[in-house]
Amino acid sequence: MQGAELRQKIKEVMVEELMLDYAPEEIGDKTSIFGSHGLGLDSVDALQLVVALEKHFGLKIGNSAEAKGILESVETIAVEIEKGQ
Amino acid sequence: MRSILITGGNGGLGLGIARYFLRKDGDCRIWLGVRANRDAADLLSAEYPERCRTVTLEVTDAGAWGEAVAGITAETGRIDVLVNNAGVHRDHLLAAMPDEAWHGVISSNLDSVFLGCRAVVTPMMRQRSGRIINIASLSALLPPMGQTNYAAAKAGVVAMTRTLAKETARAGITVNAVLPGYVETEALGGMDDEAKKQAKAGIPMRRFGRPEEVAAAVFFLASAEASYVTGASLKIDGGIF
Repeated sequence: MQGAELRQKIKEVMVEELMLDYAPEEIGDKTSIFGSHGLGLDSVDALQLVVALEKHFGLKIGNSAEAKGILESVETIAVEIEKGQ
Repeated sequence: MRSILITGGNGGLGLGIARYFLRKDGDCRIWLGVRANRDAADLLSAEYPERCRTVTLEVTDAGAWGEAVAGITAETGRIDVLVNNAGVHRDHLLAAMPDEAWHGVISSNLDSVFLGCRAVVTPMMRQRSGRIINIASLSALLPPMGQTNYAAAKAGVVAMTRTLAKETARAGITVNAVLPGYVETEALGGMDDEAKKQAKAGIPMRRFGRPEEVAAAVFFLASAEASYVTGASLKIDGGIF
């Protein structure tokens, strides 16, 4: 899975696994996942997201420094998953 | 089918909880975590050979937790319920408390709960469901003299329960504490008849609890019916305040 299809699937996983009050279509590819200007998710969501990305896409994130870069947006997550394919 | 790990599986309360689950839920699988003594746990496992097993688990060892949880998930694909029941007390007045009595009790009662919770949280997050029940003690709220170590550890368990409940609520995991008062187990073995009489006099119900009365609460907290209960501390003590 790649490109737009992959980005759509990541958004669906985020909405379902993090119980977000958004439709997947409302999340932009480059919307910030954390912080008040984006989706406003917190560190507990980050932990759940790491687990969900491994479960659904096999993406292993080793440490929190790495996670910070990868979990910036749907786009950065997708790029990381595509790198491993 | 639910996979359930109960620590302190050779003691009266751990066995009481296990027996209650085995009787009430014909579809559950129980793992009794034990350290050195395992005779009673092995007897229960022999009674339910298909559904109950004794496993060696040193609860103060992170590696042992990893192995135990990996073994359960490898076999059943899940870990649904963790009952952190293992614990010891070594009572001394604080002024005369040896270092090892302090550290040993904190390690067995508090570190163990931290390590157990940490070992199961990620697999439970992956499942998006899980139940953690920490067996604390009435001593967390109403400590008798001589239990600064035990009371501090059990109060720590209550605080940890509430904190972890917040951290895991969105992942479908509930974390609750049960605080038994006097329960008829080997834990009362150190009391002579006169001490027991005096203790009963201080209990509004005028009797000690039975293991199954604690087990019933654990069973409820582990059930689907308790899906909105998390971070709670449930006293089970015949009405002591």
